Amino acid sequence: MCYLCDEYGNPEFGGGIWYLNPYNYSRNMYKLRLPGEGHKGVEASPETGESTGPTTADLLNLIEKDDREGFDRLVKQMDEGMRQGGGGQVLPLKDAEKVMDLCSPIGLIACLCRKNWRAVDERSENEYTCMGMGVGMLKWERWPERYKGGCKFVNHEEAKEWLRELDRKGFCHCLMMFGAPYIGGFCQCDFPDCNLIRWAVDFGFGVLKSHYVAQVDYDACNGCGICASRCQWGALKFEVTTKKASIDAFKCYGCGVCETGCPRKAIELIDRKSLPALAEVW
Amino acid sequence: MTILRQSAPVIFGRKFPKITIDQEKCTVPFLCKKCLQACPIAVFFVERVMAKEKRLEEVDPRIPGNYVVVAERRDRCTMCNRCIDVCPVDAIKIEV
Repeated sequence: MCYLCDEYGNPEFGGGIWYLNPYNYSRNMYKLRLPGEGHKGVEASPETGESTGPTTADLLNLIEKDDREGFDRLVKQMDEGMRQGGGGQVLPLKDAEKVMDLCSPIGLIACLCRKNWRAVDERSENEYTCMGMGVGMLKWERWPERYKGGCKFVNHEEAKEWLRELDRKGFCHCLMMFGAPYIGGFCQCDFPDCNLIRWAVDFGFGVLKSHYVAQVDYDACNGCGICASRCQWGALKFEVTTKKASIDAFKCYGCGVCETGCPRKAIELIDRKSLPALAEVW
Repeated sequence: MTILRQSAPVIFGRKFPKITIDQEKCTVPFLCKKCLQACPIAVFFVERVMAKEKRLEEVDPRIPGNYVVVAERRDRCTMCNRCIDVCPVDAIKIEV
């Protein structure tokens, strides 16, 4: 069971899937002030969240010191911290479109990860690769540095069109919580320019895998290799022996970017729970 | 409840390359961005220097000292030295 559904799902909506529960997008879930030292409420800059919490550098120091216990403890702590800012779940495009009908307002903004990792400066409306949702977006002007270039508010249909366009380019979609279970952001990620993916792939914490897992239909796959360039999680490769795409389901995050990119519809997203060995792999 | 997230194996006790960036020489990293874009695995991380009184202001990346670059993911550095080759001010030093 996905622990986010366990805690934040509502059987009345979307079969208990947490991100299809409209309550998790509602105004009264939005927290102006989060508890704890690392969060300073409205005065905190969303650039860093004014976080005083642990960083990747702390993790690396523990690895160098061969401190396994400390490392595990810190990973747990950072995983917990992600629930307060930035953590969430990977979604395939079909579910991402459902989410677009639940949240409002929707603002397109510049991606902070790409700014940090590659110094990409998204300054015009056509370049934005990140999305903020909900009442939090109404005060974007408070933080001119974070939202340099502004914020483009779009309606539900425009947002879906934007998502399809980014999906076509090869970005995968990760929902973000800001004060669990409030859902306030929607990352469009690729490796290695995304913090969420890097932490998940390298250290195994943060974002949860989606409710799906990709499977290849070997009869339909002709080995064109297009999907191999679209996997951001290191789960899909072109297998030379069989001349087909090969997916490691334990590494697959179920983002579905390989599925949407396949010209022969040879990749299918199936329900994670339908594979007993994967039922607890999130 | 088991939550198993497969990640790359972490090799404990491994020493990572030490990457130092001379902040005296590297003053406008967000404009230069050469090391950030040359690194194959994006080891470097550029962020705004967050002065407390300036945190609600927009800062100009052209002004020296407003942005700083750090070697955030030195664990993935292979010491290929591409960043050293592209750095116009010779600010980067990598040691074993």
